[in-house]
Amino acid sequence: MASAFAAAFEILSFGAIIVLVVLGLGIIASMMGIFNFAQGEFVLLGAYITYLAHSRGLPVWAGMAAAPFLVGALGFVLEALIIRRFYAAPIVAMLGTYALGLIIRESVRGLIGGLYLSVPEPIGGSIDLGSVHVSAWRFVIVVITLLVMVGCYLLLSRTSFGLRIRATLENPALARASGISTASMYGTTFAFGAALAGLAGALLVPVFSLFADLGIRFLIQGFVAVMVGGVGSFIGPVAGAAVIGTLSAALPWVMAPVVADILVFVLAIVFIKFRPQGLMSGKGV
Amino acid sequence: MFNDHGHLNRRRFLGGFAFTSGAIATGVGSWVLRPEWANAAAAPIKVGIATDLTGPIAYAGNADANVAKMVIKEINDSGGLLGRPLELFIEDTASNESVAVGNVRKLIQRDKVDLVLGGITSSMRNAIKDPIVARGKTLYIYPQLYEGKECTPYLFCTGPTPAQQCDEFIPWLIKNGGKKFALPSANYVWPHTLNVYARKVIEANGGEVVFEEYYPLDQVDFSSTVNRIISNKVDVVFNTVIPPGVGPFFKQLYEAGFLKGGGRLACVYYDENTLNINQANEIEGLASCLDYFKTLTKDDPVSAKIQAAYEKDYPGNFLFAAGSAATGTYRGLKLWAEAVKEANSVEREAVAAALDHAKIAEGPGGPAEMVPGKRHCKMKMYTAVAKGGNYEIVGRSDGLVDPKEC
Amino acid sequence: MAESGLAGLAPAVQTTPRRKILPIVEILTLAVAIILPFVLQDYLTVFATHVVILALFAVSFDMVWGYAGIMSFGQALFFGSAGYSVALLARDLDITSIAVVLPAGMLIGLVFSLLLGSFLLLGRHPSTVIFVSLGTLTGSYAADRLARGWYYLGGQNGIPSIPSMTLGSYEITEGPVYYYLALGLLLVVYLLCRFLVRSQFGLALAGLRENEQRIAFFGYKVQHLKAIVFAAGGAIAGLAGSLYAFHEGFVWPNMLGVVFSTQVVLYVLFGGSGTLIGAVIGAIIIEGVSFWLSDNYRDIWPIILGVLLLLVIMFRPLGLISFVLGERERVGRFGGRPKEGRHAAP
Repeated sequence: MASAFAAAFEILSFGAIIVLVVLGLGIIASMMGIFNFAQGEFVLLGAYITYLAHSRGLPVWAGMAAAPFLVGALGFVLEALIIRRFYAAPIVAMLGTYALGLIIRESVRGLIGGLYLSVPEPIGGSIDLGSVHVSAWRFVIVVITLLVMVGCYLLLSRTSFGLRIRATLENPALARASGISTASMYGTTFAFGAALAGLAGALLVPVFSLFADLGIRFLIQGFVAVMVGGVGSFIGPVAGAAVIGTLSAALPWVMAPVVADILVFVLAIVFIKFRPQGLMSGKGV
Repeated sequence: MFNDHGHLNRRRFLGGFAFTSGAIATGVGSWVLRPEWANAAAAPIKVGIATDLTGPIAYAGNADANVAKMVIKEINDSGGLLGRPLELFIEDTASNESVAVGNVRKLIQRDKVDLVLGGITSSMRNAIKDPIVARGKTLYIYPQLYEGKECTPYLFCTGPTPAQQCDEFIPWLIKNGGKKFALPSANYVWPHTLNVYARKVIEANGGEVVFEEYYPLDQVDFSSTVNRIISNKVDVVFNTVIPPGVGPFFKQLYEAGFLKGGGRLACVYYDENTLNINQANEIEGLASCLDYFKTLTKDDPVSAKIQAAYEKDYPGNFLFAAGSAATGTYRGLKLWAEAVKEANSVEREAVAAALDHAKIAEGPGGPAEMVPGKRHCKMKMYTAVAKGGNYEIVGRSDGLVDPKEC
Repeated sequence: MAESGLAGLAPAVQTTPRRKILPIVEILTLAVAIILPFVLQDYLTVFATHVVILALFAVSFDMVWGYAGIMSFGQALFFGSAGYSVALLARDLDITSIAVVLPAGMLIGLVFSLLLGSFLLLGRHPSTVIFVSLGTLTGSYAADRLARGWYYLGGQNGIPSIPSMTLGSYEITEGPVYYYLALGLLLVVYLLCRFLVRSQFGLALAGLRENEQRIAFFGYKVQHLKAIVFAAGGAIAGLAGSLYAFHEGFVWPNMLGVVFSTQVVLYVLFGGSGTLIGAVIGAIIIEGVSFWLSDNYRDIWPIILGVLLLLVIMFRPLGLISFVLGERERVGRFGGRPKEGRHAAP
């Protein structure tokens, strides 16, 4: 029983990690129809900022708090300068953001010297529930992810700002005609997606350690998750991330890790083939 | 040329680069060291180092490069070899086999080196040995502990083999840990082959292998493995997971209460460099078996001298340690220098014949001897345990241990 | 609505030169390629061979993307599978004869691309470009992970020490011999592709690229056309993969993976898609620049490369070749020369 609980918790926490990473990717894909190949590198930047704060002697949580804002700001600037040009051609957007990601990744690699660096977690140790030990920090990650998701949902459904975002999501032309500045909506959305990735990176770095290729492994999982969940809504990518994350964490318990690794992707592609609109079709929240 | 690990030359000039001789970046790309007294009359002997300056084991590769610089400088300061200065060419293998092959080709075809020393992981050795030995017809020394079975002619190994690392270590583990072993491993050739040997020794000493599993190199989530270890009441985790996975793995194991329950970690590549990957309490009691530990400097003057010389020239994060091929690099270069002196030439045939039975009386951890006909090296082995972030020697071999290869 | 997506980014003013620039560019490139080994040192000829093989790989992608509008992020899957297959042939069955391994590589590439292509492209609903690109990306990624985990294939290490390709008892080693072999094969494939895209089949492909729906309404089986081109691209990638395996002397999981796949996409994008020579030039330039940069600006060359690519993608999305070629030449000429006073439709 205890081991089943431990297993469930591990799976849940890994799923939460994937959700956090994918949320930003999904929002950008749903809103602007482009797949941001640099999303993994935004995660990397969040992790790097956290490491930087730690190595300068600041408390780790300060770095973690700053990361989303800094990465979000960078996202906003990049959108205005570069991403804006790609909306007409989604394929070129993928390649352009890939080049962007390459620049960011190699810059970070140069800065950390190609090494693997560790960052301690602000809340360490484990929580003991009877005979089950649960990593305290992973628990915090799950909690924060839930809070973020709830916050996003409330933002989108209860505020007028969220209303405008949803309008732009559903029908950009009409939204523009109604006086909503889609350009600033896109900018804000991209910044928001980047900020989420930055937060994910910051929270993850104690678990995964900092290295330049951190972003790549999340990229593929992220895209597959968004496709499985369905592009165009808020809940779609979240659902997709939850499914992919859970599968990725659960399957190694019942089969060889190598087989599990591949099976997740194969299943995802087959699923998308037969249900192209994903789990949750439809636009809006 | 986009690779997972790029092709970057780590700025090694950080950390007190105390060379006064002309270290010139000649603009041909690789890092070259030429001594001041080099003149046109005596053609230099060229030594090539191919190691991981960037990537997950950059901590090891940079240490090896530093050791090479130190040894070459030492040889040059005492007049070079055969009256000729030594020139050092360093290339980055970047933990990326494709980049490595390209760079090794530069050493062989463009720089025309007389010796290549390097490669850390077995996959790297396998990738670059062909361009060096077969196509390049150059001598190759491999300095790192590995799984054995490398019997290619002109390829000499100066790091510990499974026999050297397991024969005395595993009985110690059974006595000081328990009989139930788990073998979590990275999925590549070294763990696969080492585990075959380790299993034999474990079972011959009355132990039991509860499970043996292989993980992708970039796996960082080990919850199912940790669970299997705890629920099967494993006594000794004989680990061959390497960075980046090993840090999270040991952390997750600690958080699940493995050490508290009396378990012991064992990892034969763990040295002073890797101690920093985890917090000290997460690896308390971890046992390792290598040819050298820094704590030996307390009672071995030769080791103390070498360690001091290294730390004077290279203070900083790249430590002189045995799990990172640094001791093997030292040993390999010194043995090669002896062989060149005996052969009185740098021709591959002659040097290989001399290297076949070369000996050095002074090396880190003790003397070393090549076993004739086997291209592997006898050396002293030590078992040590991590206590509070430092190693404590708990076992020493009686003499030089036989590598039992080829 | 052009799904190929690049049409919307063509520069506003298109100059259409009267003379045909394309053949001039092609012949110039060929001339330079032929004399190269005579002016380069041996070590650089080996590098040049490496580039020629990658150019062949790039041509395979240009066929698929530039002519059929399939954004395949997984070409490395066919490249790498062929490489692994011939490596296994050499290691386990001691087969290194050129007459066997090169056709075997092509066959493997063809079979895999037929399998993947029919799954991704055929079916009741036409697949979106995004799905195909993600599907191929995932295929490449999954193959990489599989090779990494399967010990028979060498796992993380790959398969090292592949012996040289043989022609009878003669060993084809790296150097000028291998260079001319690779160049010869590139030339043959190039000419075949060029012939193909100038034929009636190519006309249908051009229509497919410009407006898929309309071509479908004309009665062309769009999905079948795409699958055929995808398979051809796979075969060419397979050929390149087997050449690469024997030239480098080892194969490893990255050959199958996402980074390699994206590399070839960038070659073609840089050079200019839909022109075949653009792919070759793109490969040459990117590899050459990377090589030169890595020697001289070690620490920051990937960043410089990334910036260059970004600039090209942003300001010249049709590739460098668009500096010399007009839009009409990209699409291709079909039929006879136009009579004076009339413009023939491309």
